[in-house]
Amino acid sequence: MTSITGGARIVDDGREAASRQTRHVIGQIALYSALVVWAFVSLFPIYWTITTSFKVAKDVQAGHLVPWVDFQPSWLGWRSLGLSPDTIGTLSTVRDEFMLRFFNSIEMGLGASILAVVIGSLAAYGLSRFQYKFLWMRNNDISFFFLSQLILPPVVLALPFLVLYKELALLDNPVGLILLYTLTVLPIVVWIMKDQFDTIPTELDEAAQVDGLGPWGTFVRIILPIALPGTVAAFILSLILCWNEYFFAALLTSSDAKTLPVMVASQTGSQGINWWAMAALSTAAIMPLVIIGVALERYIIKGLTAGSVK
Amino acid sequence: MRVELYERMMTLQAGRRNFLKGAAALAAGTALSNSFVGKSFADAAGDLRKQILQIPGVGKGAPTDADWQKVGEMCLAATKANVAEGEFAGVELTFMGLNNQNLHNVLFRGFLKPWEAYTGAKINWIDLAQADYNPRLQQSIATGTVDFDIIEMGAPFEGDTAGKGLLDEMPDWVKAQIDMDDYVNYLKAPVGTWAGKTYRITIDGDCHTFAYRKDYFGDGSISGMADAPTTWAQVQAVSKAVKGKKDPLTGLDAYGFLDPLKGWGGFGFYFLEDRASAYAKHPDDPAWLFDPDTMKPRVNNPAWVQAIQDVMDTMPELPPDQINADPGTTAFQQFLAGTGSMICWWGDVGSNARTSDSSVVGDVVGFSINPGADKVYNSKTGAWETPASPNFAPNMAYLGWGVYVTNRVSADEKKRKAAWSAAAHLGGKDLSLWMAAYPSGFQPYRNSHFDYAEWEAAGYDRAFAEDYLGSNADSYNHPNAAIEPRIPGIFQYYSVAEDELAKGYAGQYASAQATADAIAAAWEKITDQIGRDSQIALYKASLGL
Amino acid sequence: MTTEPVRGGDLVGQGIGPSNPQRRRLGIGLIVVATAGLLFVVVSQALDAGGAIHFGFSNWRPTLYAYVVWAIALGWGQVLARGEAGWRALFILPAVLFVFAFALFPTLSGLFIAMTDWNLSAAVGPRFNGLSNLVALFSDRFYWNALGNMVFYTAMVMVEYAIAFGLALLLNADIKGRKFWRVTFLLPFMLSPVAVSWMIGKSMLEGRFGPIARLARWLGWESPTFFAQPWMAKLSIEAMDAWVSIPFVMILLLAGLQALPKEVQEAARVDGAGPWQGFWQITFPLMLPVSVTAIVLRMIFKLKLADIVINVTSGGPGGATDTVSSFIYREYRDRSNVGYGTMLAMVYLVMIIVFVTLLLNFLSKRMQRMT
Repeated sequence: MTSITGGARIVDDGREAASRQTRHVIGQIALYSALVVWAFVSLFPIYWTITTSFKVAKDVQAGHLVPWVDFQPSWLGWRSLGLSPDTIGTLSTVRDEFMLRFFNSIEMGLGASILAVVIGSLAAYGLSRFQYKFLWMRNNDISFFFLSQLILPPVVLALPFLVLYKELALLDNPVGLILLYTLTVLPIVVWIMKDQFDTIPTELDEAAQVDGLGPWGTFVRIILPIALPGTVAAFILSLILCWNEYFFAALLTSSDAKTLPVMVASQTGSQGINWWAMAALSTAAIMPLVIIGVALERYIIKGLTAGSVK
Repeated sequence: MRVELYERMMTLQAGRRNFLKGAAALAAGTALSNSFVGKSFADAAGDLRKQILQIPGVGKGAPTDADWQKVGEMCLAATKANVAEGEFAGVELTFMGLNNQNLHNVLFRGFLKPWEAYTGAKINWIDLAQADYNPRLQQSIATGTVDFDIIEMGAPFEGDTAGKGLLDEMPDWVKAQIDMDDYVNYLKAPVGTWAGKTYRITIDGDCHTFAYRKDYFGDGSISGMADAPTTWAQVQAVSKAVKGKKDPLTGLDAYGFLDPLKGWGGFGFYFLEDRASAYAKHPDDPAWLFDPDTMKPRVNNPAWVQAIQDVMDTMPELPPDQINADPGTTAFQQFLAGTGSMICWWGDVGSNARTSDSSVVGDVVGFSINPGADKVYNSKTGAWETPASPNFAPNMAYLGWGVYVTNRVSADEKKRKAAWSAAAHLGGKDLSLWMAAYPSGFQPYRNSHFDYAEWEAAGYDRAFAEDYLGSNADSYNHPNAAIEPRIPGIFQYYSVAEDELAKGYAGQYASAQATADAIAAAWEKITDQIGRDSQIALYKASLGL
Repeated sequence: MTTEPVRGGDLVGQGIGPSNPQRRRLGIGLIVVATAGLLFVVVSQALDAGGAIHFGFSNWRPTLYAYVVWAIALGWGQVLARGEAGWRALFILPAVLFVFAFALFPTLSGLFIAMTDWNLSAAVGPRFNGLSNLVALFSDRFYWNALGNMVFYTAMVMVEYAIAFGLALLLNADIKGRKFWRVTFLLPFMLSPVAVSWMIGKSMLEGRFGPIARLARWLGWESPTFFAQPWMAKLSIEAMDAWVSIPFVMILLLAGLQALPKEVQEAARVDGAGPWQGFWQITFPLMLPVSVTAIVLRMIFKLKLADIVINVTSGGPGGATDTVSSFIYREYRDRSNVGYGTMLAMVYLVMIIVFVTLLLNFLSKRMQRMT
């Protein structure tokens, strides 16, 4: 696709140039149409969620779409969280609860993602560059060993982890959850980063070694900057997965380390569902992710390629 | 109330309103004999009750945290009588409960804030989503990670907690503080106790009642019937009659009774019970789910098969995607939104019909006890019987929430008193009136809650309050009420039944009988796994046999 | 773990310099001492827990700390003893030791639980029953039904991959407002599964007023029901899951595209190949390793699909949308039948490991032929 937009090459024949020009325009139209269509697919449910946070039940059930046109926006959802303009200044246990969980989620999401990216990248670089042997396991087996940690349905780990964390006094402890989340996203980081390092030619490493850098110096100074797009992608994906993790959060936390997803799920129950509150919570919950996405997007760009270093 | 009285009333049936008035009068005369009615207005407590019902006032929008705290503060007198100011300074308690749409635990926080300020104790909160409640509780018990001193718990879980000796027995001063004699009959012993001991501070009473659309019945109505149905056979007939017609309120397709065909984490089974109890709960036999002597499931006996068959028969008349409708959908997305004309549900539907913004049916909704059946199966003789009048057996689904204290505090007398004091505050008589009248997730459960004058004074429409509350009171006090067994793992039985039913409804089994047999087989397996002898003993204990 | 768990090998013919014998002895000594220390703590904790002696431990934290100290000593010892090779081992040691520490206990206790008859409500607790759960599993036709559904869901990963590749190419193109498009396309992945289940599954797909139902009606489908017929229900669940997960695959592929050397694509253009040929001959083969990772990761996530199914259909109608995870979820959580539930999961784990191994072998052979 990049080549579609690659711009016109100089050609001798003017007519050919004209037809290329036409093709270029058609290509551009197709490109932007596709972008717009998928943006709609991506955004409509998000739009639905955000507008739902300003609806009352009637509007949800009637499927009203456009604020001020077919329904009158209300602060109901935000008020139930103590986050509407009229309740923001007053004491609200619900808002306290929300804020506590919000900051816990940030702490645990960032903690686990950073830890996973650090030790995952190291392992991935090792697996990409050196031959290891541990008992019968060689590099491929070790990679698969990491991957296999991802496979078991988490639900059956409930009892083992309850017992383990009880014995280690890690229940309802942010550190406990950070370590567990690191474990769950580590395989993703290792696999993504190993791919990234594999695409970087080993000649670079050799050149660095000749310059007197050890393996760690090579890794930190030369290789890691090149692998930045993958690192950022792995970080973003890890963060989102940790941020939305529900099962272990509901199991292993009580009153100190609790996180947001449990509160989102609490909006349903025997009295039906608080659409507005769930929508408001979900909206509030994706905001930090959007901000981080916007901030980090710039790093998912063409890294320095082999050619530009040479 | 005696059976004969009730039967006579049902046959008289001079009209819905008259019946309900009659029932209310009956209730006032018999069940409420301890004369709370009228008296409450005479003393100071009456003024307090009037005042708290004005916070924030009916029709003033949903109460907020500030209102909860105010009510909690005003109802603190009972605590002050038993606890000195600052008596629990330094005590920390952990309270586990639900966060159900920011009610339950969130509500309790508000109520207990003034209590904390007065007593000096501090409460840490564990909030669970409803879906996590059962597994979390079971897994905590199994791994020895019970980390809460006070727990909000449904009575059906008593088998798993009290049965394992995890609860602390209620001290007598608490019984006096919360005035336990005021509970409706069915919540007193044996349902209110476990093996003769009292553990539960009841904060909720549960039963299913029958809600219907009044505009579907009467002269010229689309059902062609003068009155709402009182038996399941009539319900089936209405569903058939209105099929293909238009709803008088919304103008969309009209539907009859709404059966939830999808499970709901075990809770969906209550809705089959609504139909089955009428056939299966014989007035001479307290048991209706299992044989108490052998724990042999009755769920595949002719009575239950009839109920399953009734659901299967009515499936063509249900809305198109009903196979994916769970009870929450039928109540809140269908019935209250104007789809369908009849439903069995907890009292929430009644209070929501009037107060919730999502309801379009507030002015046209009526209530009664669950429908009855023209025949009832006698498990002892193994034969159907046809009583002179239909057999009614209101379903006391879930038996209500309670607040319990765990044995973690038993050794520390100061902590124990603090825990019970906090629990008693939540189960206080006046506070409970407020919870019954405003959105809280809890239903009326005391005789004093059925004083219609109080509701009227608070701003409720008298006729509506009588109709809605009357159906609850009549169910609670019904002599043939179907009481749920509080045996360990009861939700396992429900959960597997729900799964098998969903398969049966989707045509995975050949017939209603085959579906019922699959449930029975699964139940036998669970009973063997948990231990048949202990289940028999606990089942008998929970029935008071 | 033995004292020498990791042995460095050769990197492009570079020899490992023999380290100073004194440092070597020091390193080995460090490891031996640390190991002895760890063993001492573990044994004394075990004896304490068993009641043989009393140290007054309130929990197993000391073992955790001892393990951390041991891990540091092990790494340091590696460096001292083996020099360059030790430095290389340091890359992988933290991840391996971390995963090992956390996976060991849950895996072992999971295996034990799988071989018990354990209903949490049973007063007697777990009872060892060998392989009975395994035997019971073979006649559980709804478990196999769920497995059958997984074949469908897993196959759909290829469709998701195709879409995601297309989107990654779009985002990789020279477009205006790149930041906007990229963040927008990533948004669906950010919404929590619970919110997706309710906001889309129960609200947008609601039969009467849901916007998608209304669109369907406008397009001529008279009474749109998305979860009533088995196949429609499966497709609806798949569509929701795809909507959430396509961005995951897309970002991986995008990162892969960005890492491709520029000259390669320029070379493709200079050769005069059309964009279509250029893609198939140059870009696609180069993207194979990244694609394999993306597909394998996505398939593993797909094989664990549960949240949406639990919230939206509970596996219905009649098990048509059930996944193995949601099936296990009901058995393990709703029915507290943890012994059988764990065995279901362990068997599933073995199946997935076999499947993924075969898949990786197959793909690596195909890749060798293509490149």
